[in-house]
Amino acid sequence: MARVAFVAHCLLNQNAKTAGGAICPGIYSPIVEQLRERGWQIIQMPCPELTFTGLNRFWAVREQYDTLAHRRHCRRIVEAVAGAISAHLERGDEIVVVGVEGSPSMGVSITSSDPSRGGRPVWPEGAPELAPGEGVFVEELRAELRRRGFAHVRTAAVTHALPKHDPERERRALAQVLKGR
Amino acid sequence: MDRDARGCRVALVADEFVNPCGDGFDALPVLEEAGWGVIQLAPSWYPEEVARSLLEQAAEHAHEFARHGYQLLIIGEREGLDQALARLGLQLARLTPTSAHQLRERLHDGEAAEPSVDCRGPTE
Repeated sequence: MARVAFVAHCLLNQNAKTAGGAICPGIYSPIVEQLRERGWQIIQMPCPELTFTGLNRFWAVREQYDTLAHRRHCRRIVEAVAGAISAHLERGDEIVVVGVEGSPSMGVSITSSDPSRGGRPVWPEGAPELAPGEGVFVEELRAELRRRGFAHVRTAAVTHALPKHDPERERRALAQVLKGR
Repeated sequence: MDRDARGCRVALVADEFVNPCGDGFDALPVLEEAGWGVIQLAPSWYPEEVARSLLEQAAEHAHEFARHGYQLLIIGEREGLDQALARLGLQLARLTPTSAHQLRERLHDGEAAEPSVDCRGPTE
């Protein structure tokens, strides 16, 4: 039996971030190191935003990705990810999904929300877009896992995109989820 | 475009170099040190349908990076990857290193082409 963390794409590849969002050249090492220290294998999930709106996409909020077309796109990816999780669970592996707080797609308990955002992409600096909730992809993934009877799969998230990011707090929170608490 | 810390280098990496076992070695510390991002390829034991879909995703990611002039490279072998890339008109350089030291040297030697544009965006 192995312990396997399904991580958001950008945790191994910051090049996938919206322009201005990459905090390191490629691999976000704090998460990789923490997972490795605790004996977890890593499986990277695809980035739903990169293959939908591309590298030159604007910073967006959840409402802008909450369309039928984007949900269809997410479900296509989710089908493969859930299939992979299913294959691991059949082998008796332990699974954790690691998202990115604040993301309109990959947020686990914090997403970004602004029902009025649209049009020419100019908005006030520091606009209060963070809001409780899941990103669209994580919501679709959880729905598919529930449908397959895997509602018990645990979730965690990194916080490096949040203004009050605290690396030690992020580390402790992930450690708790990895321990199953 | 906002400027950020991205390296504009992306490696498509076989699973055995991300989750090494047996004779494999861990490529992530080397790639991190050299400033490369990773697109991890589906483990070889995955069911065919799942693997095919994940490889299609990996190829679509690579296509988007290629379209913007990012440096791309395959590390290791994964059955079905070349076909998935070819369907999108992509053919990428490949390294099959036998050690972390060899990978480090080959990345340093620049066996993959440099990014064709400064994808980090304009300076302030």
